[in-house]
Order: sequence, then C-alpha cells, then structure tokens
Amino acid sequence: MAGAGSGASRRGATSASHLDEEVLGKAYDARLMKRVWRYVFPHRKLVALSTVYLLLVSAAQLAQPWLLKQAIDGPIAHKDPAGIVRIVAAFAAMLLLEFGFRFGQVYYLEKTGQSVVHDLRTEVYEHLQTLSSSFFDRNPVGRLVTRVTTDVETLSEIFSSGVVTLAGECLKLVGILAILLWMDLRLALLTITVLPLLGIVAFFFRIRIRDAFRAVREKIARMNAYLQETLTGMTVVQLFQRERANDGEFDEINKAHRDADLQSVAYDSIFSAVIELVGTLSVAMIIWYGGGRVLVGAITFGTLVAFLEYAQKFFGPIKELGSYYSVMQSAMASSERIFALLDTRADIVSPAKPATLPSRSTPGVGEVVFDDVRFTYPGGIEVLSGLSFVIRPGEKVAIVGSTGAGKTTIVRLLIRLYDVDGGAIRIDGVDIRDLDLKELRRRVGVVLQDHFLFSGTLASNIGLGDPDIPRARIEAAARAVRADEFITTLPRGYDDEVRERGGNFSVGQKQLLSFARALAFDPPVLVLDEATASVDSQTEMEIQAALRTLMVGRTSMVIAHRLSTIQESDRILLLHKGRVREEGTHAQLLAGGGIYQMLYRLQFQQPETPAQP
Amino acid sequence: MSKEPDLRPRSLVREYFRRHRWQYAWGFLLLAATNVLALSVPRLLKHAVEALQASDRRALIRFSLVIVGVALLQSVVRTWSRLAILGASRHVAYELRARLFSHLQRLPLTYYSDHSTGDIISRSINDMLLVRSFFGPGLLNLVNTSLVYVTTVTMMFSMDARMTLYALAPYPLFMFAVNRLSRSIFAHSISVQEQLASITSRAQENISGISLIKTYAREQEEAAAWASQSREYLRRALSLARARGAMVPLMGIMASAGTLVVVGFGGRAVIEGRISLGDFVAFNAYLAFLVWPTFAFGWILNTFQRGAAALGRIGEILAVPPEERDLPEGRIDAPLGGAISFRGLDFTHQGTRSTATHLKGIDLEIPRGATLGILGTVGSGKSTLVSLLPRVLTPPTGTVFIDGRDVTLIPLARLRHDIGMVTQEPFLFSRTIRENVALAARPFTALQLDEAVEDSRLQNDLPQFPRGMETVVGERGFTLSGGQRQRATIARALIMKPPILILDDALSSLDAQVEHEIVERLKRQKTQRTILIVSNRVASLSWADRIIVMDAGAIVEQGTHEDLVRSGGLYARIARRQSLATDIEGA
Repeated sequence: MAGAGSGASRRGATSASHLDEEVLGKAYDARLMKRVWRYVFPHRKLVALSTVYLLLVSAAQLAQPWLLKQAIDGPIAHKDPAGIVRIVAAFAAMLLLEFGFRFGQVYYLEKTGQSVVHDLRTEVYEHLQTLSSSFFDRNPVGRLVTRVTTDVETLSEIFSSGVVTLAGECLKLVGILAILLWMDLRLALLTITVLPLLGIVAFFFRIRIRDAFRAVREKIARMNAYLQETLTGMTVVQLFQRERANDGEFDEINKAHRDADLQSVAYDSIFSAVIELVGTLSVAMIIWYGGGRVLVGAITFGTLVAFLEYAQKFFGPIKELGSYYSVMQSAMASSERIFALLDTRADIVSPAKPATLPSRSTPGVGEVVFDDVRFTYPGGIEVLSGLSFVIRPGEKVAIVGSTGAGKTTIVRLLIRLYDVDGGAIRIDGVDIRDLDLKELRRRVGVVLQDHFLFSGTLASNIGLGDPDIPRARIEAAARAVRADEFITTLPRGYDDEVRERGGNFSVGQKQLLSFARALAFDPPVLVLDEATASVDSQTEMEIQAALRTLMVGRTSMVIAHRLSTIQESDRILLLHKGRVREEGTHAQLLAGGGIYQMLYRLQFQQPETPAQP
Repeated sequence: MSKEPDLRPRSLVREYFRRHRWQYAWGFLLLAATNVLALSVPRLLKHAVEALQASDRRALIRFSLVIVGVALLQSVVRTWSRLAILGASRHVAYELRARLFSHLQRLPLTYYSDHSTGDIISRSINDMLLVRSFFGPGLLNLVNTSLVYVTTVTMMFSMDARMTLYALAPYPLFMFAVNRLSRSIFAHSISVQEQLASITSRAQENISGISLIKTYAREQEEAAAWASQSREYLRRALSLARARGAMVPLMGIMASAGTLVVVGFGGRAVIEGRISLGDFVAFNAYLAFLVWPTFAFGWILNTFQRGAAALGRIGEILAVPPEERDLPEGRIDAPLGGAISFRGLDFTHQGTRSTATHLKGIDLEIPRGATLGILGTVGSGKSTLVSLLPRVLTPPTGTVFIDGRDVTLIPLARLRHDIGMVTQEPFLFSRTIRENVALAARPFTALQLDEAVEDSRLQNDLPQFPRGMETVVGERGFTLSGGQRQRATIARALIMKPPILILDDALSSLDAQVEHEIVERLKRQKTQRTILIVSNRVASLSWADRIIVMDAGAIVEQGTHEDLVRSGGLYARIARRQSLATDIEGA
C-alpha cells in the first residue's frame, strides 16, 4: 500500500475519531449507565465520601450570604463593633471549611472517576489480548488504541464534569431556593422567574457552541488529512508543478476552518454576554422589587443584600447546563463503543474440557500431522489447498518453497493464530483445537524470523516471566546456545534492560537470545523460521552450532533459508502452491530434477546476485 | 537579491500585529468601554441603596432602569470587543498558515527526507493553535486584566483608601498561591500527558505485535504490564487532582475573602459614619471584579511563553530557503529537446533519515529519442541517478546536461514541465482518478485524457471502478490494487507528452501481459521521446536501445540486451535467475 494509503494508520486514527464524533446520541442511556454503575460499585465508598463533602461545601457556601445579612441587619444597623468581630470570625471559619471540604470533594470525585477508569482500562486491555488474529486483521490498530485510551478517558468525565457533578450542583440549587423562599416568598418567586429563561438560553447556546466546535474540529481533521497527503506526496506535487493549484485548494480548507472558528467565537462571545446580561437584569429586578419590599418594611435591608448574593450563586450551575449535556453525550457514545468491544467474543478459544497430551518427558512424543489442511486468509486467496504431511517424533524436517508457497501460514496454523478451514492438525494424535491454547503454545516452541524482544530484562526475555522457569534454567539455556558469552560482558548481565524492542542488540545476538528462549521452555516440537538476513561468517557459525544444540531430542520443523540447514535435515518437504509437491533428502530431491532442483539453484546458489524481485 | 525577512518570534508578532492594528485598536477601545460600563453598575447600586435609605421610591426605580440600560449596552459592546480581538487572531492564524503551507511546497525535496511529516503537521496545526491563543485570548486578557485592575482599584481608592489597602492586602498572597498552584497543575498535567502518551504507545506496540504476543503466549504478562502502566497513570492523575483540588476552592474563597474584609472593616466604617451603606455594597461588588483577572495573570504569562515558542518553531521552517527564488543570470527558458549527458558525475546524497547513496564516475550520453534501460541491485544508485534530471535531488554544477545545458541552470519550472517522471512509489491523491491522471498543472483535453488512459492500459481497469474515471481514490474512497495504481501514475506522466520520460521502477506490479502492451505503445512513439526505464526485471528492459547495469553507484556493464547476455556478466546471471523463477512459478 502506497500513495494515498501510506501513513494510513495515522490518518486512520484521525478519520476514525472524526467519524466517531459524528454519531452522538442520547445523553443518558439507562442500559449503559447501569453497566457503568457495575464498575462504580466497588468504589461506592469514594462516591459516598465525595457526596458528603459536597453537602458540607454547599452548607459552608450558603452560610456566607446569610452571615452578610446578619452583619448588616445586626451589628451594622445597631452600631455594635463587637458583633462585627463575631460575624467576621464566623465568616472566616466558613471560608476555611469551604476550602477544606471543597478540596476533599474535588479530590475524591476525581479519584472515583480515575479508579473506575483504571479498572475498565485494565479489563478492556486484558480482553483485547484474548481476541483472535482475525479480529485484529479486521480492526485498524489506531481504532483499537483509541478504545483503550481516549474512549476510556472520555468516560471518566461522567464523574468530573458529567452527571455526578450535575447532581451535586442541582442539590445546591435546591438549597439556595429553599433559603430564598424562606427569607421572602414573593421576592423569591420573582427571582426564580429568570431561571427558566436562563436555562433555555444556556442550553440553546451550549448546544450551538458544541456544534460550532465540532465543525471546527472537522475542519482541522480535513486540514490535517490534506497536509498529510500533500507533504507525503511532495515529490509528486513538485514534479507535476501543483504548487500554485494546491495553494488555492489549501486556501479553501484554511478559509473554511477560519470561518468555522469565527462562528464559534461569535456564539461563545454572545453566550457569555447574554448570561452576564441576565445576571445584571436579575440584580435590577431584585433592587426594584426588593427595594420596594424594604421600603414597606416587609424585608430588612440585609435580606435584600443576601438576595443579591444568592442570585449570583444560581448562575454557575445553570450556565454549565448545556456543557453537562455534551459531556454526557460523548461519554455515552464512548461507553457504547467500549462495551461493544468487551462484548466481542474471541473465535479461537481453549475448549471447555481440554484434552491432555502425554507428558513431555514421555519418550516418543512430538508427532505432528497435517491432514488435508485447507486455509484461506479472510477475503483472500486460498493459501493451503489440501496440505498433508507427517513429522515423526524427533525428526528434523526442512520446509522449502518459493515466496507465497504458504510456509509461514503453516506456523500460524500450528499454534492456532488462525484455525484451519478444512482438515485437521494433530499433535501426538490430538487435534490441536482440543488442546488448551496456552498448553499448545508452550508445547510448540516457535522461533520467528524477526527476533522479537519484549521490553524487560534479558532474563525475562528468555524465561518470559514464567514462574516455572528458574533463573538457573535461564542461564543454562543461554550457556547452551553460547548467548552467555555476550550477556556476561554487559554491565548488568542478565538483568540488562532491553530497549526499543531490542534495538540495542545485534541481529546475531537477538537470534541467540530467541534460541535460548526456546531452549528454556524445552518444547517437544520446535518450529523455526530461519532468518534470511545475512550475518558475518563467524556469527553464522555460532548460530548454526546453537541451532544444532537446540534441535537435539525434539521434533523440529525449519523453514529453511540456509544450505547447511537443508543438508543436515532428515527430510525436506517442498511446498508449492499450498501443497507438498516433493519430499526426500537433499540428495534424492536434487537427483529428481523437479522444482526442488530449480529452487535450489535459485535460492542457494550464486549468493552474490540481487534478491529476486 | 531581496533582504532576508526577519523571522524571529518577536518580529513575527510585530508584523502580524501591525497588519491588524486597526482591528486590535478598535477591539481594545471597546474593551475599555466595556470596563467603564461594568464599573458603573456598583456605582448605580450604591445610589440605589442610598435612595432606599432615603425612602425615595422613584429614584429606586430610576436606578433599576439605568442598570438595565447599562447592562444591555455592556453586553453589546462586550460582544463586539471580543469579536474584534478574537476575530483578528483567527485571521492571523489563517494568514500565517497559508504562508507556511505555500512555503512548504517550495522547499527543496531533500527537506522532506530530513524532517518528519508528523513534526511539520504538528507545527502547522498544534503550534498554530498556540499562536492563535497568543494573538487572541492572550492579548485580550492582558489588556483586560490591566484595565480592570487599574480602573477598579482607582474606583475603590476614591471611595475609601484605607479599606482598599486592607482589602488588597491578601492579593499578593493570592497571586503567589495561584501562580504556584497553576505551575504545579501545569507540571502535573504534562506528567499525566506523558504517561498517556506512554500507555498509548504501549497499546500501539502491543496491538501491532499481537500475533507475536500470542505466539509466545505472553498475553497475561502483557496485560499485567499494562495494568502497572495504568496504575502509574492513575497515580499521576491523582497528583493532578490534588493540585486542582486546591485551585478550585482557592478561586471560590478569594471572592468571599473580599467580603470578609468588607464586613470587618467596612462594617466598622459604616458604624463610624465614614462611608455610607451604599459604599459598603458597591465596594463589595468592586472586589468581586478583581477575582478573575488575578487568576488570568498566570495563564496570560503561560500563553505568551508557549505562543512565542510555537512562533519560533514556525519561524524555523519559514527560514529555510526555498528551492528557487530568483532566476540567476544566463538561464535560457527554451523547451527541452531530450539529449541527456552525465559527465564525470560524482554524487553523494546523505539524508539524515536514510542511508547514504553514492554515485561514482558516471559518464553517459543518451541521444535524443533513445531508450535507456537501467538495471541494478537495491541501493545501487539507479533511482538517485534519474532523480537528478528533474532535480528531485540537485547535482553538482557541470555534471548533468540536457541538450548541452547544465540542469542546475535550467529553470525548475521548465525541467518539470518537460520531464514526465513516474516515481517508484505509485502515489495517488485522495481525489478522483480523472484528477489524478490530469494532475500536472496545465489544461488537458478530453482526447488527451482518453489517449493517456489508453496508452497506460488504465482503460482495462475502468469497468472495475465503481464510478469509472470519477471514482475517488483512497481511504474514504476506492482502494486500488498496486497494478492499478501504477497504471494511473503512468497515465499521469504520459498525458504530459513529455520530451523526456522517466519510469523509475514503475512497471514492477504489472503482470507480463499488461507490461508488454504498455511497452508496445511506448515503442510506437519512441522516436519523439527520450525514455529512461529503471527496473530490476530484465524483461522490462530488454527492448531498450541500450542498457546500463549499476552496482554500488557505478556503471559496471552496458550494451544491448543481446550484448549483455552474451558477455555472461552480472546482467546475464540476473537474467538466468529470473527465468528460473518464472519457470518455478509456472510449475
């Protein structure tokens, strides 16, 4: 894949999240929330704690205007300086309490959200590990990464700025309302009349603003894609003199982005102005009507001031009404996607009652049978069309064939990365589909062509963190393949770190390490995809010696690329177009004069000539 | 030569600010007006309270109405001021982005082998957002904060100097705390972001290598490693929550702390008759004005710092000189004929992100209308050699000539107009196939288009495309096979009817039959055109007038197909192996 498809993963991620944003549905879905609640339940103590703090915060906040009223109506009106000190002290106490409680509330709420999200993230990831190869073939990497990172993160906003916070704010509103009604029923009712107005305005604008921002993000995504493509194809752009035409095209996109951006600025500015306007209007209303009430002696002057203060506190939560809605919408969409992933079942799983194989130490274990195996990659061509062969215990078999003959597919099927479409594969007479997956993959030791190292230490790369493999066995395995010669020269020896998937080791060293890994697990069946990469002759000799050690006493299948490997094997299977076409020893096949002879001349002679196209 | 433009952040700020200075001036003026209006509300409140004390009901109503009027006016002026200033910043970002893109397209192609696309995109998008914040909310808040502070504090002083001092006394402490906290929040959010990036790349690594994980039965270990990374993320997120947990209530109590002072000292002042109850209420309202600006302060600083850094990164790209700015003396812009010569060419191309290619002692004459085949191993320098002609890579002067003219002295526009090149990678843009074929920036007739589609054999593919020539290519459109892509890119070069045609490994994904058909058509028009074909397939080259074989940057063999096969050298060996591979394929 090249051209417009190159950089597909990056753009794939952009366009996927872009598409995801388009589908926003309900802001509250009881079915989904119920499922989210199952993750919240273990942390219910945190939720309770946070709620208690919230109640305390509200109380400390609501007490403040009331104290102001007391000051005005009491000490100030009665010219009592000592009374002022008392009220100031009470006020200061409320401030300190507000600070402390608010801290607790914010912290515990965030802790709830993050803890829930941590659990979910771990669960989704663990689940992802069990899914089958075909699932990963279908889903681009970028999309799956988004599921375990961005989507999970979005969900946490249900707590920090979604339904939980909203519930708290509503509680406060009720509190304020109660106080206002208690202080003066008529003035309270008048003040409340602005609330629905405010709510409607806030909701209307928030939705507009959200849509405007989404339009901006869409334009950014378009710009991103255009830049990505133009920069990647800059050679073509310049060779075909597209510069001026592209300037024009980019201007369209750039302009569209600017205009969308200006639109969002406009909504945002008008919204904040309108909210402020409504606030000031309510102040005027309270002064006009409340002032009249003061004049007739229905309320005190302090009550009027308190009314003004309480009215201000109304606006906070109502202003944010629309944004809670948007947050909930995206959180619901995210949770829907996450749960859909969690509901995906793996097609390749261990059977409920796995069959048992003879123990590894039993003499004569390690027979591998491919019985009329057929396999087609999803949406592709048939790779194996009735492949049959038997490898006897302890036999060393080399598999040769031209590119695309299906050699690598054999390995994938043998360890059930994919299941056969027809026929069966048996190890020691048991169909591999009846075996426990982990057991199968430990029985069949695989050494791949790209010597893959995991992050961790050298020791953990050989033992793979398996508690059944003690350090002594790891070191013995390394010694046997003579990997210890370079390991012991490292500053921290077996505890040296592997960086960037083994970037700090040479090809030869990585090869020896993967041999040591295979040896440590001591599998009855060994499958080795021999490396094609050329190494110097000293390393080559070391590798061959290690390989001989590795193959002793076990059944081995080698996808051979080296002449010496072929010559030393007991039998050679020649794979051609998905079937075994020729088999025998090197000498027999060479004498036969079939495909093998041509392949031999092509692959193993004249090593100085260029690789075949 | 024009003077080098100054591209330091400071100069860029000055340049773009000046460009929109009237809009900014208008915006700042309106901002000042907004503040004046806002300041009058507490004043009106004071009068209302005093009217209340005097039991003057009519004055009370009058002041209420004036407050409504002021509020209406203020909301209009305020909206305008934001639109002016924030709008200007959007225009700055738009202009700067257009300039950057235009500049990027004119950079030497070697720039792209040395710089990652991701980094350039990040500068065009993410850095541009930071610049936009600098020119928009950054400037707006800077001016607004200063205005609010100066005017509000003045008003408060005019009411009661001593009380103002008391009320402002905790402010330095607040500023200090806010500053410390926002710095801590900033540091914590960076650390959270880092961990997020790290778990993201961990997931990326895991999912891309999932088959290996399964092969080695490492699923549980991977999940455990992820869990510990996720726990680290949790830990960092909670540190951030702690800092935020302090910031949120700090904002809350700052507003009320003013009230505390007003009650404490103002209450006493009212009792002592130094101020009126109206002053008391107004003073409380003024103090509330100062809360936001105090918080904005740290944010403004941060915005300016990050914006300046982003401008610096953008300026870095703008400072790279474009490929061709002025036409040097003695350039003749005559159409190219097609006689090509390489004379004593030594060339080394060392991209920072690729391995070095060396060409050594290349001497080669290609007469006009000849076809040259170039065969060689990977990395032998075949592609490097042909890319010197349209100056994808620039050769040293006096080494590469077309019609006897040094290519470094031929205008780029001419070279690229007259050389049709099909690159190794069959790159198509996400647009229709028609647009991809008629890509070169000049008009083509329908007839020319049909001809190119016919000659490249793209015609045979059209029925498979859902909308024929109007099919959109790419991720959101139709996915073409490798062969279809190559045919489309060949059509793209053929439609130009170039005097010089370069096919850089452009036939590799075609099956033998289609390749044969294309070659037959090329042969028909052969005499009008100089053709260079790069390939590692003997069959694609055998028809050429002459073939050169390259190895390690030098020409090691040359002659016709027959000559080379007879001589039994590298070419002959490759030819034999390839026919062997064909035999196996057919077995």
